[in-house]
Amino acid sequence: MSDFLPDRLRGLRYPKLEHFEQPNVITTTADLVFSWARSHSVFPFTYGLACCAIEMLSSGFARFDVARYGMEVFRPTPRQCDLMIVAGTVNEKMAPVLKRLYDQMAEPKWVVSMGACATSGGPFYDGYNVVNGVDKIVPVDVYIPGCPPRPEALFQGLLELQRIIEQYSFVPRRPGAGRDAAAAAGRREEG
Amino acid sequence: MYDHFATPEPDEAMKLALRRIEEARARGEGSNLDGIEFNEVVVNMGPQHPSTHGVLRLVVTLDGELVKDVIPVIGYLHRCKEKLAEKRTYYQYIPIVDRTEYLASINCEWAYVMAVEKLAGIEVPRRAEFIRVILGELMRIASHQVAVGTFTADLSPLGTAMAFYTFRDREKILDLMEEVTGARMMFNYFRFGGVRYDLPPGWVEKCRDLMKQMPKLIDEYESLVDDNAIFLQRTVGKGVITPQDVVDYGITGPNARASGVPLDLRRTRPYSVYPELDFEICVGEHGDVFDRYKVRMNEMRQSVRIIEQCLDMLPRGPVQNSSLRAPYVIAPPPGACYVGQENPRGEYGIYLESDGSRYPYRLKYRDPCFCNLQIFPKLLRGNKIADAVAISGSIDLVLGGIDR
Amino acid sequence: MTAVRPGTNPMPVEAVAERLAADFADDLSDVRVQEPDTVVARLAPERLKDAARRLKAHPEVGYETLNFIAGVDRVTCFECVYHLYSWKTNTWLELHVRLPRQAPRVETVTDVWPAADWHEREAWDMVGIEFTGHPDLRRILLKDDFIGHPLRKDYVDLPENHPHV
Repeated sequence: MSDFLPDRLRGLRYPKLEHFEQPNVITTTADLVFSWARSHSVFPFTYGLACCAIEMLSSGFARFDVARYGMEVFRPTPRQCDLMIVAGTVNEKMAPVLKRLYDQMAEPKWVVSMGACATSGGPFYDGYNVVNGVDKIVPVDVYIPGCPPRPEALFQGLLELQRIIEQYSFVPRRPGAGRDAAAAAGRREEG
Repeated sequence: MYDHFATPEPDEAMKLALRRIEEARARGEGSNLDGIEFNEVVVNMGPQHPSTHGVLRLVVTLDGELVKDVIPVIGYLHRCKEKLAEKRTYYQYIPIVDRTEYLASINCEWAYVMAVEKLAGIEVPRRAEFIRVILGELMRIASHQVAVGTFTADLSPLGTAMAFYTFRDREKILDLMEEVTGARMMFNYFRFGGVRYDLPPGWVEKCRDLMKQMPKLIDEYESLVDDNAIFLQRTVGKGVITPQDVVDYGITGPNARASGVPLDLRRTRPYSVYPELDFEICVGEHGDVFDRYKVRMNEMRQSVRIIEQCLDMLPRGPVQNSSLRAPYVIAPPPGACYVGQENPRGEYGIYLESDGSRYPYRLKYRDPCFCNLQIFPKLLRGNKIADAVAISGSIDLVLGGIDR
Repeated sequence: MTAVRPGTNPMPVEAVAERLAADFADDLSDVRVQEPDTVVARLAPERLKDAARRLKAHPEVGYETLNFIAGVDRVTCFECVYHLYSWKTNTWLELHVRLPRQAPRVETVTDVWPAADWHEREAWDMVGIEFTGHPDLRRILLKDDFIGHPLRKDYVDLPENHPHV
């Protein structure tokens, strides 16, 4: 057995904490299991603000069933959620509320900006009260264009998000791990 | 930039709620419970809340479970639509009107398009009028399906069963709309002087088939909840809107009709081809939550009746006024007019002022939910907080219209 | 069916206009009919409260419901448009009240029509027309510390109103 382990793990009786600081076979296996669990049982946060919320609702019901991706558990409280789908226009009055709710979510958390309004202000971009894009307030992982995006478009975005979640590593965060690694992996995949 | 661990300072609405508590204590009205002198708690429902149907914030003063006072705070979805009207041409503004009452956006477009047609004196061909009525009534059914579905979902998590049925059938209607207009929700289909596309071949038969199935489906929805003792206990006798309230607060739509007031703009101020159609105004008796739900169900049946008549009476002909051609720049003569239209939620009106240029001078929305929301403090006072959720669901609010 | 129904005393809209011009000769000026069922008239702001009470209580053409109040910025002055509905005759009345540009103040009508509450708050919020005597005149659609009244024609977008850019 010890022939297959790297040098520093030889003579090992039980794993120690320092073995989880670098990616190795134990962390990658744990990553596989955890990312499979995380990406296939995301709890979205019902943050439907405007018209896109109705398409989000439609995607939750029988015809476009979001439960097949494991995301049917829409919780209304941010403390129990992983994913905030910002569906609708964010304006200056709502922005502090959005930030507060985002801060109340526990890590790891992701944000999907659904619709043209959440991406960039949408048809109301030159309004005096409209925030041009929710990424001015919270970091966004997936942008879904459309006004409103069809439920199928929402699903494409959520599948994209599942691929991002799968890159999320078990190894504790440091520069280069976690979200940055996922972004880098995503770019490497495309490029 | 933002200290998210700090307790937020009370804003104007909370300060008002606290001021009212102080005044009530000074008057000697403390708590209703024996042995407890002062018991009011100010609770924030929203703006993000599963039961408020959008970003409505209710600052609720609770005494135990009884609601003492409610201060609705709106504006969390204010998208500057009235100012945008001054920056967009008349044609560019049609998609923005869509996004007011987004559950029945055809009806919103209809009011705007009628207002511009009235100002500019544009005639609409008969076939286009019938198509407008058919699509308007289809969206009325779809909107009521969402309203009733989310209302029962509010009452209890198991009530989402009704929502599953209504949303399933709403998808059938949206399929029909998509064949005609190309969109599922915000259609951008009406034009000044008609509609954009003609009905595709075979659409009339598909619509007829769906209308044959519809009454049975509506009966199915009612069979789910009508005999449920808990549903009846939670809805009968709660949240009564009196006819005097309807007059005082300008309440329109199913909320007014459930109180026994036969106010329907399709009859009192007929537009389009409604004078030629035969349908009843669905009126309730008591004005409570159950009557509002029942009025919506009956209105769905009347809409089916209207659609079937229109499909039979659909004439041939153009769907757009031939005098209007591309480039679509329209500059109505200076003037002002108000056009009200029977939206599924009430009277949706557009007050439009034009100064002769390509851009509207002033566009004001008369939104049904904005006017219906004013009665909230009066309705919810004295009820338990759970009833407050049921009552607010039965008023059928869409925040896109309230906040514009 | 309750006693509250539209059209219990139906009158053609021209007859309504004549009746109003006769009974309210001191208050309403420029009474005309806009097809098909609206009477449009102009009213001076000082006479608003009194005329409002009498319009609501008129025995034959009682305007009991307020539909909406729109604030309009005509560059030389402000204007408040009151849209009223008469249940008895099933007609509408559009009252235009001109206000001076420097001091856009008018009395509130919330004690006459309770529906005016939020409409007046919105006119204050968007256009800056002040309604004296209103029980709770504060901003309704915009955030509390918003500076300016956006629907004015000379409104300039201030960076203080956009902290989240």
